[in-house]
Amino acid sequence: MEFLLSGQLLVAALIIGSIYGLVALGLNLIYGTMRLLNIAHGDLVMIGAYTGYWLFTLAAISPVLAMLAAGALAGLTGAALYFGLFRRQLTGSQPIERIEANSLLIFFGISIIIQNLTALAFTASPRTYQALDTLVRIGEVSIAQSRLVALAVCLGLSAAIVLFLRFSALGLSIRALIQHRTASRIVGIDVDRVQAFPFVLGLAGTLIGVTEQISPFMGFPFTIVAFVVIILGGLGNLAGGIAAGMVLGLIETYGVALTSANLRSVLIYGVFILVLILRPEGLLQRRRLT
Amino acid sequence: MRLPAPRETVPLLLVAAIAAILPVFGSDYYLGVGFALFGWIALVQSWTIVSGLAGYISLGHVVFAGIGGYVLVLTWGAVPVWAGAVLGALAAGLFALLVGLPVLRVRGPYFVILTFGLAEFAKYVVINIENALGKFGRLILGGPQVETLYWAMAAAALAGTLAVIATRRVRLGAGLAAVREDELAAETIGVPTVRFKLFAFALSALLPGFVGALFVLRTGYFEPAQAFDPVISFTIVTMAIIGGSEDARGPVLGALFLVVLSELLWASFPQVYMIILGALLIGFVLFAPNGVAGLLDRLRSTGGARAAT
Repeated sequence: MEFLLSGQLLVAALIIGSIYGLVALGLNLIYGTMRLLNIAHGDLVMIGAYTGYWLFTLAAISPVLAMLAAGALAGLTGAALYFGLFRRQLTGSQPIERIEANSLLIFFGISIIIQNLTALAFTASPRTYQALDTLVRIGEVSIAQSRLVALAVCLGLSAAIVLFLRFSALGLSIRALIQHRTASRIVGIDVDRVQAFPFVLGLAGTLIGVTEQISPFMGFPFTIVAFVVIILGGLGNLAGGIAAGMVLGLIETYGVALTSANLRSVLIYGVFILVLILRPEGLLQRRRLT
Repeated sequence: MRLPAPRETVPLLLVAAIAAILPVFGSDYYLGVGFALFGWIALVQSWTIVSGLAGYISLGHVVFAGIGGYVLVLTWGAVPVWAGAVLGALAAGLFALLVGLPVLRVRGPYFVILTFGLAEFAKYVVINIENALGKFGRLILGGPQVETLYWAMAAAALAGTLAVIATRRVRLGAGLAAVREDELAAETIGVPTVRFKLFAFALSALLPGFVGALFVLRTGYFEPAQAFDPVISFTIVTMAIIGGSEDARGPVLGALFLVVLSELLWASFPQVYMIILGALLIGFVLFAPNGVAGLLDRLRSTGGARAAT
């Protein structure tokens, strides 16, 4: 049981937690502002991972730079989906329940298409690559440079986004949009402007790709995780979501350490089912105007 | 008793006609295709009861098929084959009853992702049980002949079609439609929504359990990742969206269309098949939400209107 107290495990949990926090932050902003259940969310992460992989393998570009390109690509993909498919739906006259159910099915189709196009282009077999793999020692803990970068970027970026949204005018309007969708529409807040936020997914994807296996189907678990995190942390509560990401990282890392790696998926889906059943209102609740 | 309408007789006759014609070719290939087709029809009809009629879209229906298949291999050798398949159906129904109460409280899109998560959860639980038991796939030797399985599956497809037709005719069907349109209003005027939803959920689980058991008998082995494959759930939804899920016609049309497409593409271009599937799903949701059946209705009504003028 001594290994449970090791700093190594704690750092591993923090790294996973910070990645979950950032991925969920993206979902929080997109779901929060549009109420569209984007289950292609994780696929943008996957796109980021492949971008990093190819830029490094073909052009020897460091993931630290590649993640900017990946962010741009994911942001563009997200914006293209929004303007191409969903903008008309959202501004149409259909009831919101209908739009939600439809958008889920549409996103599901998109997810299947993105995954299979990737599999078609790059085969379905998983890949890994070695970049930033020198070990860094901090006290008793030694971590690969790539994981350290992932930790630093995810925490730094999350904090920057939260602060930006708290203190800038655009940030305030976005948070208003999340909290009172209809009301903020009436006072003229523009939903179109948040469409660039999927860029954080591309960034996160590149960082995940350096530390984990890359495959066309790697994205879905991140979608699930992101939903768990924003339900745990509260919709629209950005800082809460980052904390919840950390909590989930801890639950997963220590749960797996105590049992076995095979139980990872059981654990994640178990938490997923529990939060949905126990707190469906956490997501479903439409805050009334008071 | 109301006389059967075309929307009731057409799907029944279509299934019966296909079942009667395919064996005439006398090749195992056609029996295999027919087996798959009837399996999908039974699955999509079952799905339609809870997701089409009540509007609770399940993206995890494979869980019932997986449970049915698992029960069959667990009872293999201990009970006769068909008893095992029936036990599989009952186990799936029981599972639906057990999880139904909490799961059906969750509405809309959350129900959709919850059912998906539930199916994945069950898959990983079974994988872990099998690993703990030291089993990596189980072989089934000496199952029934292809022809026997073919007729059993044709019966399942007919039973599923009849189940949708019957449900639509009785109070349950009206109650489920009320739930779909406005659950709160339905409850206010005294529709026992909780009981109806739970009953529909269990009813929609029975046949998939049986179908899952037959799938295992046909392939001759059980492997959890395959038996609980989420692509099966996805295909069910896509078939229902393409065909339409208002009545018993849609599932037959949707299954027929995709089975033919998959026969043409799956073996050599699996990814292309999946991409087409995704594109069809998006296209139908956006432009023809009531599926092929809805398009046919629209065609007929505009044709009728033109004839009248």
